[in-house]
Amino acid sequence: MKRILTAIAGVLALTAIALLSPAYAQSKGKIYYMVPTLLDEFQTESVSALTKFLADVGYEVVTLNADNKTDVQQSQMNDTITLKPAAIVLAAVDFNALQPSIEKARAAGIPVMQFDRQITATMSDFTSVAGTVEIGYVAAGEIQRLLKEKNGDVKGKVLQVLGDPADPYTLDIQKGFEEKMKEFAGVQIISLPAMAWEASNAGTIVSDQLVANPDIDLIFVHAAHLAVAAVASLEAKGKKPGDVMLVSSNGAPVGLDLIRKGWEQVEVEQPLYAQAAAIAMFADKVVNKQEIKPGTYTVLGLESTVTIEKWGPNIKIPGAAITKDNIDEPRFWGNLKAPTDKIMPVE
Amino acid sequence: MMSSRQRALIEFVLDNLVWFLLAFVLAIFSLAIPNFFQIGIFANIIEQSTFVGVMAIGLAIVIIAGHMDLSVESVAALTAMVTGILFCTHGIGLGYTLSPEWLIVPVSLLLAIAVGGAIGAINGWLVVRLQMNAFIVTLAAYIWVRGLVVAISGGRSAQGLPPSLRFIGIDTVAYIPLIAWIAIACFALFTFIMAKTPFGRHITMIGGNAVATFRAGIKVDKLVVFSFVLAGAIAGVAGWLLAIRTSGATANLGTGMLFNAFAAVVIGGVSLKGGVGRLPGVYAGVLLLSSIHTAINLMGLPAHFTQMILGGLVLVAVLLDTVKLSIRQKLA
Repeated sequence: MKRILTAIAGVLALTAIALLSPAYAQSKGKIYYMVPTLLDEFQTESVSALTKFLADVGYEVVTLNADNKTDVQQSQMNDTITLKPAAIVLAAVDFNALQPSIEKARAAGIPVMQFDRQITATMSDFTSVAGTVEIGYVAAGEIQRLLKEKNGDVKGKVLQVLGDPADPYTLDIQKGFEEKMKEFAGVQIISLPAMAWEASNAGTIVSDQLVANPDIDLIFVHAAHLAVAAVASLEAKGKKPGDVMLVSSNGAPVGLDLIRKGWEQVEVEQPLYAQAAAIAMFADKVVNKQEIKPGTYTVLGLESTVTIEKWGPNIKIPGAAITKDNIDEPRFWGNLKAPTDKIMPVE
Repeated sequence: MMSSRQRALIEFVLDNLVWFLLAFVLAIFSLAIPNFFQIGIFANIIEQSTFVGVMAIGLAIVIIAGHMDLSVESVAALTAMVTGILFCTHGIGLGYTLSPEWLIVPVSLLLAIAVGGAIGAINGWLVVRLQMNAFIVTLAAYIWVRGLVVAISGGRSAQGLPPSLRFIGIDTVAYIPLIAWIAIACFALFTFIMAKTPFGRHITMIGGNAVATFRAGIKVDKLVVFSFVLAGAIAGVAGWLLAIRTSGATANLGTGMLFNAFAAVVIGGVSLKGGVGRLPGVYAGVLLLSSIHTAINLMGLPAHFTQMILGGLVLVAVLLDTVKLSIRQKLA
């Protein structure tokens, strides 16, 4: 009995320590950030960026992690609505399933801003995206260039390694990529998903395909952490940097390392810092329910366009292709040099 | 009336049913799928069986002992991350080096075994000393250990293990990668331990009837705790191999492997009630699953098919087990 009580006391003490956090002085209120998962570097860094940038404009950020579970994120939204925060920033696990939660929050007078993942089926107060379909477009453009450089024409065999097939993010990239590649009949695309975005699954796909299709020219993986496993498989098959070209998306630090080592040719980055900065720049307008005017805005040096869509004000920030020529530019979040300049709200 | 030779033949077939099933499936795939029948693909299947296979050894031992360990996947992820953080040169890796360089192999391996063993010891202590349900204890560990992985990594990844460790994931011996040989060696070692040593026999006896085993003077509690420590330590080895294979670690590394390991254990003929099961069958189960994964990769089928086939296979395995039992009863 004594042992059990000691164990319970220990667990409770640890829980209490974990829950204790310093009380921040509130100025303009709390904004809840619904992060879909903390198991990838983009999302982890988005927490840091949003916390820093929203603090610049006077808000305290509370982050809730949904562990990639739609039902968990729905519950978090319901709980948060009862707390009446100044606003909610949502990076939805599932674009469709969160629609009722967004409507419920807005009906309760809580503005909802979409971060990174665009929801077009319902109104939101602000959306900040790079555009996942557009990432596919950028990747397609770069892959066409690489194939032409290697084969003299846009032709060859491409292995496309998707993320989890239940994640709309990867499906959108695939859609954009295949749409732009459709016109090139000489390109054969083999598409396979890495279940749960798990790296060793991607490695397995690459290993198998290298044996079955030794003439693969290029591998396109939908996240940089999958590229690491792909490179490990290439290495295990005796390949050297450049033997099989590699393109990845999201711009994580691991992808940039692979470019520096020569294994990867292009990383299509999501402009994480600019996407987060845009949320902070427009936060006052959203919270105070002021009009957001369409037009061109400069977000961390990137020319970005605000349009008024049927789902609300939408800022689209251009993604960029990172190559060995521009890799060291600090604007790429994969270099993990978050801008130190204070973000200023849009007047 | 059945002759003793016929009876022995039937017993042999029943004991090795999963191996026959594997041979059958490989033959079908070789005939039906273009590019499947080649040494490179078979080497891939064996290599890809490494992580789930090693993980399944510890899981099988705990299940044979009449308990359950759901934490093995997270333990593997933790040891992969610890290996990555300490020895990787990029990302969150600290890039520790040792002199002479080859020391990194035993040091990192022992560290992985120690970390895994420690988690296993906590599980075992809670199950045996506090009489908590193993399912709940290890489910909690599955969650908190994965949380620990995220906490120590901050959600970031470590990559770039030094060549003095990476060679294990790159070099091959007789076409088969070194990591796969390590998995095969683990199976051989623990098959011997489970079949030929008092420890293995006692674990099987405990799973069959713990009370009778206790009355026979065997230290049941001690052995059960040790089975959990072993499962943790072996999962630690799986994580170490996983880090080497992927040249680092991400916070979601190994996700989904627990269910593959469970499927392999069941397909391999280990009874979830405890007291029954042999490790070679488990290895055949893992190879069978890897073969299916590879076949689906080569056919370009959507990955969802893998899960459907996997689920179907587990059902078939349980059905076959029932059939085996009834045939054995008739033979008796």
